Amino acid sequence: MQISPEKLSELNEMAYQIRRLSVEMITYAKWGHIGGSFSMAEILSTLYFYVMSVKPEKPDWGSRDRLVLSKAHGSPALYAVMALRGYYPIEKVYTYCELGGFEGHTDMARTPGLESSGGPLGMGLSVAVGMALAMRFKENVRGRVFCILGDGETNEGNVWEAAMSAAHYHLDNLITVVDYNKVMAKGFVWDEMAIEPFADKWRAFGWDVVEVDGHDLPELAEAFHRARWVLPRGKPIVVIAHTVKGKGVEMAEFNYKWHTHAPDPATADAMLKELARAYGRPEQGYSKLGEPEVKENFYGGE
Amino acid sequence: MAENNANGHAIDMRDAFGQTLVELGKQYPNMIMLDADLHTSSKATMFKNAYPERFVQVGIAEQNLFGISAGLALSGFMPFPSTFAVFATRRALDQIAISICFPNLNVKIPGSYVGLPTSRAGASHNCIEDIAVMRALPNMRVADPADGADLRAIMRAAAEVHGPVYFRIARLAMPPIFGEDHKFEWGKGVTLREGRDVTLFGTGIMTTFCLNAADLLVADRISAEVVHLGSIKPIDSELIIDSVTRTGCAVTAENATINGGFGAAVMEVLGENCPVPVQRIGVRDRWADSGGIKELFTHHGMQPEDIAAAARKVIAQKQGVRV
Repeated sequence: MQISPEKLSELNEMAYQIRRLSVEMITYAKWGHIGGSFSMAEILSTLYFYVMSVKPEKPDWGSRDRLVLSKAHGSPALYAVMALRGYYPIEKVYTYCELGGFEGHTDMARTPGLESSGGPLGMGLSVAVGMALAMRFKENVRGRVFCILGDGETNEGNVWEAAMSAAHYHLDNLITVVDYNKVMAKGFVWDEMAIEPFADKWRAFGWDVVEVDGHDLPELAEAFHRARWVLPRGKPIVVIAHTVKGKGVEMAEFNYKWHTHAPDPATADAMLKELARAYGRPEQGYSKLGEPEVKENFYGGE
Repeated sequence: MAENNANGHAIDMRDAFGQTLVELGKQYPNMIMLDADLHTSSKATMFKNAYPERFVQVGIAEQNLFGISAGLALSGFMPFPSTFAVFATRRALDQIAISICFPNLNVKIPGSYVGLPTSRAGASHNCIEDIAVMRALPNMRVADPADGADLRAIMRAAAEVHGPVYFRIARLAMPPIFGEDHKFEWGKGVTLREGRDVTLFGTGIMTTFCLNAADLLVADRISAEVVHLGSIKPIDSELIIDSVTRTGCAVTAENATINGGFGAAVMEVLGENCPVPVQRIGVRDRWADSGGIKELFTHHGMQPEDIAAAARKVIAQKQGVRV
């Protein structure tokens, strides 16, 4: 598999923009999940700008690939990547958590191109299994269903019901990505509820497993290429992407306190400048810094 | 008791369910049946035999049953995920609510083994809270058929409307109330018997019990109106108000808990529009038990005699007598 330097540069730029927009919308909304949005920035950038076959100008195109975000609290990153991909104007992300705007978790009725609605953890993989089965019934052999799971949500029994059925029905058109960022809402995965040996669990359920550094774009691109074209042999495929919760901003990295926490405008400004420096960009802070704040404060947090 | 009614040949509701599935399968090529290891009990087997390529077995995994149904509906199919009502509405409530109802997906949910007549399986398998739970979900339509023809009509109406539907299938043979040409309309009830003194509102198999109660009340020179409300949500507010405006009191009867269920739905309409004395017949905040069918209906105070007694009570209340 070859990936050009230009494409890699584009994917890197999009990962930066996903993070930047996530901070913008979470700060403006005064609510949201920074940690789980940042950890899948490269995963979403690679899927939407390199892997998935979609037509943003025609979101219901019958032969499209589909993506189910099971960890639906990561919606800011998804809203961002879909705006960048051209499903709707970028300005629309500022309706996040507004009455009538983009939902705090996912609501497909309000977001063009969104494939499912969610929020409660552990439910998305079943929906993806249904979509993958439907592709089989419709004899669509090129299409793929992607499902992004959080690591913590694999505590849910529903995930393993779905995993069992995907193997039973030989759904090798289903590619699950686990954003294994090691941190749950209130602590580390191994402290809250251990999931290791994780890859072995998937193998035991009849899946093919690929493990990657989920922030390494060439590795991700290679893994998805293999999952799509090389590995299918009657078994569903899971890409376990080892990531860092909050990756990109030091105070949020591996820090469960930033699971649900909105920065105040000054903190957001500092975060965005830190991001810009890390990506070697001119310093660009919070776009709405200094604007009068009219919304009630609800930072969520712990 | 229902099976003693001599109005005609009793039809097992489950047979009507299986036959109608096959009929709808022919009419709707996008219809797909999913099962969680209970198809011979629900009689979804009839669909499996007719269209094996459109039958998906998910094993004993109800949360997955409804999640997969959501995914199929999002891909243009009309899924009928089938299991016992308890496992649908208790075990998989979150999946039904958020994966299916929230995005208003076209999934039709049959709930089998409802209320008291469910073999002798006991509290764990006798679903009494499904009406209350399902009618609380936005976008969900809820129906409870009186007989085989009503069930067929409800299933046809479920397929015709876009969006989630929950309908009940009692494990009981019911005497026919409706003819084969019976039509069901969402939000429309049917007046089965006109009367002056009290309205008996029934849903599901309890409508037959209301008719039997009305017969019993004749001996007391009480003229009871009987209204069948198969469509619990949306409910026929107009018919409820119209009937009670004339009779001045009401009894509701459901094969389920009275807490938050059908009787509560009728009382919501009456309370907001024309408050009158009402008594509810149904399971009274307790678990259902193992036992014989007649025995259970007697034990829970849900026989036609109990409905008749409740009618006498509301008539007395209407006349200002404290009871």
